[in-house]
Amino acid sequence: MIGETRRAPGGGPMSVAEIEHELGKLRANEDGTLALRSSVLNLIVVTDEMSAPDVTRSVSNLAGRYPARAIVLISDPEGERNVDAQLSAFCNVRGGGGAQVCAEQVTIHAEGPPANHLESLAGPLLIPDLPVFLWYPGAFSPHSPEFAAMADLADRVIVDSAAREDREDSLREMADLIEGEGMPAIGDLQWVGLSPWRSLLADAFAAPERAGELEKIASVELLYAPGGECRALLLVGWLASALGWSPKDLSRDGNHRRVRFDGPSGEVAAHLSPDSPDARLRRVRLRSADHSVQVSRHRERREVKTTVMRGEDLVAERTVHLGHFDLGVLVGEELQFRGCDETYEAALRAAVEILNL
Amino acid sequence: MNEGEDGGWSRLVVEKPFGRDLGSAQELNEEIRRHFDETQIYRIDHYLGKETVQNILALRFANGIFEPIWNQHYVDHVQITVAEDIGVGTRGAFYEEAGALRDIVQNHVMQVLCLTAMEPPVAFDAESLRAEKVKVLKAVRPIPESEVDGNAVRAQYTSGWVWGEEVRGYREEENVDPESVTETYVALRLFVDNWRWAGVPFFLRAGKRMPKKATEIAIQFHSSPHTPFARRDTEGLEPNVLVVRVQPEEGVSLKIGAKVPGTGFEVSSVNMDLLYGTAFLEEASDAYQRLLLDLMLGDPTLFIRADEAEGAWNILDPVMRRWAEEKSVEFYPSGTWGPEEADELLGQDGREWRRP
Repeated sequence: MIGETRRAPGGGPMSVAEIEHELGKLRANEDGTLALRSSVLNLIVVTDEMSAPDVTRSVSNLAGRYPARAIVLISDPEGERNVDAQLSAFCNVRGGGGAQVCAEQVTIHAEGPPANHLESLAGPLLIPDLPVFLWYPGAFSPHSPEFAAMADLADRVIVDSAAREDREDSLREMADLIEGEGMPAIGDLQWVGLSPWRSLLADAFAAPERAGELEKIASVELLYAPGGECRALLLVGWLASALGWSPKDLSRDGNHRRVRFDGPSGEVAAHLSPDSPDARLRRVRLRSADHSVQVSRHRERREVKTTVMRGEDLVAERTVHLGHFDLGVLVGEELQFRGCDETYEAALRAAVEILNL
Repeated sequence: MNEGEDGGWSRLVVEKPFGRDLGSAQELNEEIRRHFDETQIYRIDHYLGKETVQNILALRFANGIFEPIWNQHYVDHVQITVAEDIGVGTRGAFYEEAGALRDIVQNHVMQVLCLTAMEPPVAFDAESLRAEKVKVLKAVRPIPESEVDGNAVRAQYTSGWVWGEEVRGYREEENVDPESVTETYVALRLFVDNWRWAGVPFFLRAGKRMPKKATEIAIQFHSSPHTPFARRDTEGLEPNVLVVRVQPEEGVSLKIGAKVPGTGFEVSSVNMDLLYGTAFLEEASDAYQRLLLDLMLGDPTLFIRADEAEGAWNILDPVMRRWAEEKSVEFYPSGTWGPEEADELLGQDGREWRRP
């Protein structure tokens, strides 16, 4: 893609009108023509000084695929009172012609009391008529009035349930959020990261001769690294909600969890083991009386291998390249949805039900 | 004083608000006309001097593509917003007497309504333009006093946050009665009963201490009667909206449905936004300068004629009478787009205010 990034000179304290005026100027081409802005969404990001460079890079990478106005709010409530803004635009030259699409990025540093009222800074900068996505790349307080005020602006909130140290509490809070009245739809990057795993598991049972095995699954084993706890729990929650398993009891042995479910054909035992040294999710194995389905990630290559065994016989095998799943890609996946993701919500509820046993 | 001497001339400029209701406006007109001829009277509304407001006329009548769809066949409803982010500041005493209805709605908002709804004038001259505006005002269906509560909302800002600043409520402002019921926000539902606009609601709102300064006209069109696409593929699709933005940055935006790139056929809304002016004009002339120049040249096209001023008051008189009777006001926190009651004004028809 051919494109160029334009930055407004300076920065500092600016009014809404000044910001709009400067962004307008950034749309002026050298030949005197104006770039038409075609936008599909607003993206508000709430972050801190330390994470800001990574987050800003991810947001810039999204510009080509999602023409948007991104409002990056770098918040420091402890700092000395200050609000300043920096502006940039991404112009995408299509087909070598003059027509350009501009995505804009407004970065606002809010320090002191204004950092607790970010809605008063983000709201006036939103492009009308377009959906608003609110992204918290790091930990946040879902019960705070600050979050409620920001969520009021949004059609969808994107969070990372693994951003907090206590991931069990994090999932519980996510589950509370989705039940909250008037709360916009919630998307979780940990859930997005599961999508290839879910597809491969579902594919393994897609063959007509194996479809009946889904009801006969008797055990699940998940191997993950400690950072992948949310993904592991959400995956088990997904299986439970999709296959009609009701959680019966949970036992903990150190960081290991063993869960027993009542399934349609009897008991299902799940073992969640955080013994993988690296990959957030290393391996998932489902077993029925006759079959064993395993999806596992390669230790070095970005590949996932699915094997289906009947007894000792290998009946299917498939290796899939995972692609590049960096932060920007995960967020980009979330930007495709506007409404509630009912499958995610059901998986989250089931995961929290397990944790609360 | 009222007669020109030696080839000179005398003209009288009257600043808004022109009277404080229909009766006082009529008296004022009568009084002035005892001394000046109507051609000498220039009732000023600086909104009409704004380049951007005049551009509404250019957009409508210099482009062939808008006029055919500018009517009840295609338009679902119209929203006119005149929002300010500032409070009353040091004008508390004045504002206590005026309120948003007299300060903004009777003049600025009504003028924007006229320019949006009027028929094409036969020429861009004072009599043709003003005659068309008066026709709109005459066609606006009067709100009977008994129906004011269902068609008009008044509210007052309380403390809150605007652009990172904590601001006080209206009742805490200087020279404002701590129990004041003066409105700093007005929302109205009006109908223009003529062939072009029959059944199309015009929602008007004006307020102070809103999240940002914004003046715009949003024309929301009917949804397409049928789409051949699957319902789930068009979930993100909303009706077309054409927005004429007067400020902050003058421009036009059009919301249209477009295919989301990919192998499926998902259709979603895209906002195409064209700036057509102020970002590139180094120095737009001040609205008052423009109007005073017109005054000196003797061109009253962009000034208010007596019957226009009275026509606007005539529409608002029942609202003012009802509000004078009922001493209560709704509230909205500073930095928000108005009270819940204003949302209900549209909500009862299944519509909602657009975020400017």
